[in-house]
Amino acid sequence: MYKIIQKRKIWISISVVLFVTAIYFISAWGLKLGIDFTGGSLLEIKFGANKPNVIEVSEAIKDLKLNSLSVQPSENSFILRFQDNSEEVHQSVLTSLRKLNDSKNPVKLEQEGTSTAAVTANNSFEELNFTAIGPSIGQELQKKAVYSIILVLIAISLYISYAFRKVSKPIASWKYGVATLIALFHDTIIVIGFFALLGKFWGIEVNTSFVAAVLTVLGFSVHDTIVVFDRIRENLPKSADDFENTINKSVNQTLTRSINTSMTVMFVLFSIVLFGGASIKYFALALFVGIFFGTYSSIFLASPLLVVWNNLKRKAQ
Amino acid sequence: MVIIIIALAALLISGGNFYNKMSDSIAGATKNFVTLPKVKEVPFRLGLDLQGGSQLIYEADVKSLPESEKNAALEGVREVIERRINIFGVSEPVVQVNKTMAGAYRIIAELAGIKDVKEAIKMIGETPLLEFREKDDSATASTADVDSKKLDELNKASDDQAKKILAQAVKGEDFVALAKANNPAQNIGVGNDSITVGAENDGDLDWVTEDVNPELVKPVKSLVKGQVYKNLITTKSAYHVVKLEDKRLRDGQKIMEYHLRDISFPIYTAADLAAAATSADGADVKWKNTQLTGKDLKRAVVNFDPNDGSPQVSLEFNDEGAKLFEEITARNVNKQVAIFLDGYPISIPTVNEKITGGKAVVTGTFTATEAKLLAQRLNTGALPVPISLVSQQTVGASLGQQSVNNSVKAGLIGLAVVALFMILFYRLPGLLSVGALVIYGFISLAIFKLWPVTMTLAGIAGFILSIGMAVDANILIFERLKEELRNGKELGRAIEDGFSRAWPSIRDSNFTTIIVCFVLIEFSTSVIKGFAVTLLLGVIISMFTAIFVTRNFLKLMSNKWLIKYHWLITSVKNKKEVSPVTELK
Repeated sequence: MYKIIQKRKIWISISVVLFVTAIYFISAWGLKLGIDFTGGSLLEIKFGANKPNVIEVSEAIKDLKLNSLSVQPSENSFILRFQDNSEEVHQSVLTSLRKLNDSKNPVKLEQEGTSTAAVTANNSFEELNFTAIGPSIGQELQKKAVYSIILVLIAISLYISYAFRKVSKPIASWKYGVATLIALFHDTIIVIGFFALLGKFWGIEVNTSFVAAVLTVLGFSVHDTIVVFDRIRENLPKSADDFENTINKSVNQTLTRSINTSMTVMFVLFSIVLFGGASIKYFALALFVGIFFGTYSSIFLASPLLVVWNNLKRKAQ
Repeated sequence: MVIIIIALAALLISGGNFYNKMSDSIAGATKNFVTLPKVKEVPFRLGLDLQGGSQLIYEADVKSLPESEKNAALEGVREVIERRINIFGVSEPVVQVNKTMAGAYRIIAELAGIKDVKEAIKMIGETPLLEFREKDDSATASTADVDSKKLDELNKASDDQAKKILAQAVKGEDFVALAKANNPAQNIGVGNDSITVGAENDGDLDWVTEDVNPELVKPVKSLVKGQVYKNLITTKSAYHVVKLEDKRLRDGQKIMEYHLRDISFPIYTAADLAAAATSADGADVKWKNTQLTGKDLKRAVVNFDPNDGSPQVSLEFNDEGAKLFEEITARNVNKQVAIFLDGYPISIPTVNEKITGGKAVVTGTFTATEAKLLAQRLNTGALPVPISLVSQQTVGASLGQQSVNNSVKAGLIGLAVVALFMILFYRLPGLLSVGALVIYGFISLAIFKLWPVTMTLAGIAGFILSIGMAVDANILIFERLKEELRNGKELGRAIEDGFSRAWPSIRDSNFTTIIVCFVLIEFSTSVIKGFAVTLLLGVIISMFTAIFVTRNFLKLMSNKWLIKYHWLITSVKNKKEVSPVTELK
């Protein structure tokens, strides 16, 4: 049996350090918000065989005077971001870029040895993706995202307090709920802090799917925490040991399961991060990080907290 | 047994196309000796990000409406947009009304697989407004002064020309040739006897009586057959040069009929000028609105003029519209009534008589396609409230395909690793749970198809994650099973206890996931909704498979056989506590 609970000071310290670092990242840099939240347009364009470079693309749409334009080359396309979100702007950007593409890839129908189809394929200009979001929608989503995270936190804590209502000794059932809440909050902040870091140095934006990822992490993390607490619930009445040792025994009994479960999920997520489509890559990464720390917190934070709380109560008496 | 039936049914639904192919190949290989019955292929409903398409979000301007009417108005907007989208042949467009927390009303339109988003946006945003307008006499009067000089010039020219032609006609030049050269298009006569004589008309008025057309007949009735009247006949609308071709008694009646030929030169009025100006550029305001608009329309259809085959749009009004139309035509007999579309006149016919019955025909210079479009737009009606596009997301079809391929590949690799891990770590139960998971996968996919759940990229992620949760349920059970064995329980009992003790954990932990899913569904961005719905269904199905499928698989194994090959389940044989890590070999 590992002495996990006994070494709780180490684990809680690690959590505190991570938590404080994450808070620092968030307050110092903040998240790099995607257009989902800020409003604006994101346009992904694929050019023909003869690709223009970033400068040429920027030059081509210079006259349109787009607000806070960024042009970013991707694997075989360009991603343009700008603040304007009207359909007219969208169409004029497309027209300009199409012109650029045509000048770069002139269609030579008479070209010998190449069929017409092949020539047009070389010239292919395609709008892969376009998203335009009005500023009001963006604001609304920000609000909604925060609300839903808070709502999930509260709902989960309430459910745990309810599920453990029959356990009252030595600590009350609502304390299980609060311990879970603290662990969940810890996970959320660390994931957000991690993405603040990614946003600062790699320009990775967060969008609505990031919110979904955070919410899922909450669900998963609480999953782990409940399995441990459930074992505590089962062991407490029949255990001859004191509270601390009973909890340590429960954590140990569920350790393999916690690690195995997280590992299987992380296998899947890791393969999505490596091979998955660009649009869910960061979604999977957020889940990956979140589930890692979710597992950590359920073993090394939530259960130790119960013991700390119980000891505090005893001292007070 | 039940499990096998469910699993087979699920397999047939989720893999229907493969099964049919297999059935084909078996039939082919055995020369139709063995023919398996075909199953219906149920396709997945793919989301916008997977098949390409557009999501458009509109905000409706409902400021002017009282609170009680807002919902009805929005429902109207939704219907109109849906009808307009249907013209594009988008398969299963989704149009929803959404009220935001801040009280704004939104319409979300999802157009899967649409080719021309630009055109769709144009079409949805437009408010085709069909109006019937009549001449505004007060406006005409006020502009008459300005135009009077121009009018005098025009009429002087007309008069001069008329005199010249009269002289030629009286001299005995070929009247038919003169008529063809000089007759402008216009209406002559009133009511049922009115006829239109055009530029190519030889001026033949056919047989008329004095009653019908006294102005022309009276001066010429005493002429000899074939004679041209020596003066110009001036009527309200034109100068006429008239030739009496023939005269006779109408059959069986004592009424004289006169066969006349006529060359006419219009006398312009201020109203004519106004009309001419209006048809030249539609921005003229000398038309005033009647109450009749497109909303009084029952339907519009395209048909073709039986005479010249040109396309026209037939309108049919509802009861109120028919009444209004009757009133308008009644007060505008012999006057023009204009049909305006979006503020531009598309047709300005002259009313010949009061039209009852609520039917009208719009002719104009349109092509068949334009006529069809007009009819469609009239049928889809006008938007009850103005809307504006606030958000748009378009995914090209090729990007969608690429994402699907990548994500499916990633999912499969991940699952293969999970399966390997389960089998290595948990041995026989691991293998059984992989079997249970495969059944789980098929059942989920079958439900996704039948529900149907819209599959998005995030939805696939949700599904993959739910597989993770399903694995978790199995792991919980097996860990518990090992523990019970360690505590010295015999196998059959250990299996039972393992399941029953693991259940509270599975239930509670999945329940929290379900809570999260409901919050996510409320979060209402379609992408996230897709994720939450698949995860929710996945979690519910996973509880079912873990408890029923895995358990029964284990039970099916004969106890004796399992005891003999105990190592298949675990290396633990007695009460001795074994630290879990040492089991990793």
